[in-house]
Amino acid sequence: MAEQAPRLAMRGISKSFGAVRAIRSAEISIQAGRVHALVGENGAGKSTMIKILSGVEQADTGTIEFDGAPVTIAGTGDAIALGIATVYQEPQLFPELTVSENIFTGREIRKGGRVAWAEQNAKVVELLELLGLPARYATVPVGELSIAAQQQVSIAKSLAGDAKVLILDEPSAILTDAEIEVLFTVVRRLTAAGVAVIYISHRLDELFRIADEVTVMRDGRTIGTFPIGDLDVRRIAELMVGGILSDERPHREIPDGDPVLVLDGLGRAGKFHDVAVEVRAGEIVCLYGLVGSGVSEIAACVYGIDRPTSGRMLLRGRPIAPRSPQQAQRNGIALLPANRKVEGMFSFQSIAFNISAGHLKLLSRLGLLVDRARERSVAQDLIKRLAVRTPHERQPISAMSGGNAQKVVLARQLVERPEVLVLAEPTQGVDVGAKEEIHRIITELAESGTAVLVVTSDLPEALRIADRLLVVRGGTTTVEFGPDATQVDVLAAAAGAVEEDVA
Amino acid sequence: MTTTSAPPTKTPDDTTQEGLGARALRVLLTQRIALLAVLIVVVVVWFFVLDAGGYLTASYNFDYMSASLINAVPLAMLGLAELLVILSGRGGIDLSVGAIVSLSGMVFGFAYGEWGWPLWLAIVVTALSGALLGAVNGFLVAYVGFPALIATLATFYAYKSLAIVINDQSPISTPPIQQLFSITRSVELPLFGQYVPDVPLGLFTFLLPTVVVVWVLLARTTYGRRLYGIGTNDVAARWAGLPVRGTRFKAYTYAGLISGFVAVVTVAQFASARPDAGVSGNGMALPAITIAVLGGVAITGGIGRVAGVVLATLLIVWLNAGILLAFVGNEGSQYQLLALGAVLVFAALLNGLTTRRYGGTT
Amino acid sequence: MTVTEERAPVRSRSRILPAPVTGQELVLIGVIAVIWAVLAFRTPAFLTAGSIQPLLVATAPIALIGVGMTIVIITGGIDVSVGGAIMVCSVLTAKQLVAGLSAPVAVLLAVVVGGVLGLVNGLLIAYGRVHAIIITFGTANLFLFLGLQLFGSRTVNGIPATFEIFGRGDEGRTLGIPHAFAITVLITALAWWYLRHTAGGRHFYAIGGDAHAARLAGVRVQRRVLLAYLLTGLLVGLGSCFVIAQGTSTLDQSVGTGKELAVIAAVVIGGTSIMGGRGSVLGTLLGALLVQSVTSGVTQLGWSSQLSDLFVGVFIVVAVGTDLLRARTRRTR
Repeated sequence: MAEQAPRLAMRGISKSFGAVRAIRSAEISIQAGRVHALVGENGAGKSTMIKILSGVEQADTGTIEFDGAPVTIAGTGDAIALGIATVYQEPQLFPELTVSENIFTGREIRKGGRVAWAEQNAKVVELLELLGLPARYATVPVGELSIAAQQQVSIAKSLAGDAKVLILDEPSAILTDAEIEVLFTVVRRLTAAGVAVIYISHRLDELFRIADEVTVMRDGRTIGTFPIGDLDVRRIAELMVGGILSDERPHREIPDGDPVLVLDGLGRAGKFHDVAVEVRAGEIVCLYGLVGSGVSEIAACVYGIDRPTSGRMLLRGRPIAPRSPQQAQRNGIALLPANRKVEGMFSFQSIAFNISAGHLKLLSRLGLLVDRARERSVAQDLIKRLAVRTPHERQPISAMSGGNAQKVVLARQLVERPEVLVLAEPTQGVDVGAKEEIHRIITELAESGTAVLVVTSDLPEALRIADRLLVVRGGTTTVEFGPDATQVDVLAAAAGAVEEDVA
Repeated sequence: MTTTSAPPTKTPDDTTQEGLGARALRVLLTQRIALLAVLIVVVVVWFFVLDAGGYLTASYNFDYMSASLINAVPLAMLGLAELLVILSGRGGIDLSVGAIVSLSGMVFGFAYGEWGWPLWLAIVVTALSGALLGAVNGFLVAYVGFPALIATLATFYAYKSLAIVINDQSPISTPPIQQLFSITRSVELPLFGQYVPDVPLGLFTFLLPTVVVVWVLLARTTYGRRLYGIGTNDVAARWAGLPVRGTRFKAYTYAGLISGFVAVVTVAQFASARPDAGVSGNGMALPAITIAVLGGVAITGGIGRVAGVVLATLLIVWLNAGILLAFVGNEGSQYQLLALGAVLVFAALLNGLTTRRYGGTT
Repeated sequence: MTVTEERAPVRSRSRILPAPVTGQELVLIGVIAVIWAVLAFRTPAFLTAGSIQPLLVATAPIALIGVGMTIVIITGGIDVSVGGAIMVCSVLTAKQLVAGLSAPVAVLLAVVVGGVLGLVNGLLIAYGRVHAIIITFGTANLFLFLGLQLFGSRTVNGIPATFEIFGRGDEGRTLGIPHAFAITVLITALAWWYLRHTAGGRHFYAIGGDAHAARLAGVRVQRRVLLAYLLTGLLVGLGSCFVIAQGTSTLDQSVGTGKELAVIAAVVIGGTSIMGGRGSVLGTLLGALLVQSVTSGVTQLGWSSQLSDLFVGVFIVVAVGTDLLRARTRRTR
């Protein structure tokens, strides 16, 4: 190919959110007709780069060039006008409208006053075939399709808009292997037609099947761009991690004894299967899995939000089957939800309210009247223990930073000294300082005898606090690592390049 | 989806540069209680001024204000009923309160007026009938998953027609019922009664207990906390182990219970159990919802206080009382509608503005 | 990217869009048929023109306004001020009729007044960013005030038969079909076509489905919402003419009372979801027909007329309940 300006070039991009430097001086060059993978750990800056490209955020410094000419992307409209289309994991579709309507909302093909259905539909059928979807989907309301199909409709939507740059954000997370193949076929056809594809994924092994080059990000910087042929999974993992060894951790003594929580052959149709986990009192076990691995569904079953369809759960040797969070709590299992804003916080209520939610029976007189003095002292005590930065317990939780809010939701789980504490993504959206503190709290909890199960997609975190680390991949527990695991080992295992793993 | 650290939320406590005026404005807009108190004073002073200038058909004085409080009883009680339901979130609302008042009123009419039951028993049965009718709403909304607007619309129709059919469209005005009117009279307050205008008895026998009970329920009991919890975020409530459906169900049941008591008051006020008591004209539900919204209740749930509803009632009742004196004949009642509508739109726009600028009201 | 071979073409029009008539609507037709059959059986006089025609005439205003209300609810909003708006339009128009205004001009007047009222709602809701239910509760009161002011004394008397072409009498019919009903069916058909075959029409659904995503896709959300309420207002204007026509020469202040709930009931029974994003004006027409059939039926059977409200309540529960059940089974994992 003759030397020509890259389809898209970002140079010197920096972006901060308040005191947090999300990206510093990042650079990336995307060529037309190529698949350019973007990899990095959680928090490395990938999604911020994408948000800048799609116009959701604006960079603080730096330039963006499209086909060699500098452009400004001040909003989503600008990005769309340039031909930059983004497909997210959550498809932004209208569930009651048909696939055909969804694809063309806002740019319907019209003839006179009415929509030219025949013509529009023909285009839709073309796109559907391109994606390997049956033509009859055109008239099916999108809400009736599987999530995977909905994602493909999202892709079709961006194609209908004559995308020149297609950004795919973790597209394979929710797809089966067969669907991934179809996705790759589509991507290849697109690049053959000159579309530049930016492919973000945690699944490093996939990159070798589809990407032409890889840009690695770490700590907000673009470390480098490499042709895929120069790399292997291990090398990518090393670049992502920076060859930094995990911190030295004092070796913790785990008291012997029977496990408090046992998951034995646990499964839930379509989500996970044959999960085997044991957690002893005073032990921190981490389930490390990427999005779509089934790891968060496992936590939901332990807590009674969902019910498993096979296998069993044992608490101190006794089989349990909680059918609601209330029942799980009565069994002594507490859970810190993954999505703080949606599942954890009572936004405009006070810290005290948030801490005592769900424990009102305990903090009441006669089970009826709230014992405010007790509530206050419990809240103050937990605020001190968890080092929550707040002038008093009456402050609304919505005014707090992510880290502090997370501590408050965590405090709620500790009110009744649970036997088993499950923590789902405990430091997501939390700044570095609070992260350290939360990890310290978790370790202290274990030392005081709680059985701790951490479910996370944050690898450094898992390595820092876990006594044992289990990799969850493809809906089941696979390899187990001890406290001496390195990031690179685990990352490679999770990405599927483990020697023991039969592909 | 990959994530980075979320941007830290802005704290609204940046009062360093605020002048006194801006600060006062902010307080007024975000603290609904403060705004209502100010408005009450403004309205009352305004009418006193008009009275002094001779513009009113009768005297707007403390006696008159006190006597007009009889209207506050059903209005505030239903406003509290709506408060409970709207607080429960998920589009909580109750269009059927007026119809419950009608139907329970007929129950009371039968029990006390026709079958000669003792008053206390008739009242208890009436209240329970209201609770049962409210429980139907609660069941449809909390357990079956009906949108509240639809469920209570349906029960509005059903209860309204049952109330009329149950006694062949005729009211019950037997002697015991007629004598009940005496309970709506005004009484002199004990101790300092001679210095202060007489107050309608219903205020003490019905309104005050309801206000106290609802206040205690919301501010002090575990149930109240759960109600605020599910109204604020019922997904988080589920994850926290709160009984979401049961709490929501009870909110509608309690609203029905309160409506049952209002039925007794209404029967006494009209000295007759009328089958269209709660649904004539525009019904009782609309003013009740207006009071709740004016009182600072967020239509999305989780925000609202008893004090707000009470102050909003006082504002509307005294405003209406003044309007009645400011206009001759029928005009007065019409201008009351204007006032109600204008106030509601104003309050709603204010809510919207406040949420945008300051992040919400308390 | 073009497809080189000639694809087996998408066959008929009906394959492009979802079926024009939904299951719910078929059920409604069935229920109406059953009710009519039962009534015909009990009262042979029911199936005569003399019975059916007034039924159709009575259905007309509710179904007509229901078209606007359907669109409003599809966008995720609601309008409870319709009753008050009917009062304003009716009293204004009736007074002008008494003053000798001709029918076409009077209709125009009513429609314009209704449009203005609808515009007020639309502006407040589209640009004020407040919940529709609150705003329309407020404007309901304002319109009521306006209407009562216009009424002045208690009633408007001596209304001439100018609007008899919309009424129940012989002048209101052509070939046995009441004009009011025919107009309603026509407007419903137009709306049905608009909602199904134009981009603007589909955008209403998009807004109800996800207003934010709609805006991102380039839909002019505020304009569409404004249009929905404006349209409802215009239809209220026309519907008020029908109401006047069906009344006597005296118009009293109770006109319009409770009509908003009747319209909402018709829309909901017709299968439109109160959550927005889904619905059809055909369903609303059937819903209004069902409600009116029940009302007529109750009278014909000699039952208390109040029982019709009870049935309406039951129908709402059944209609929405079955819809909920179907939604539950329809959902994807």
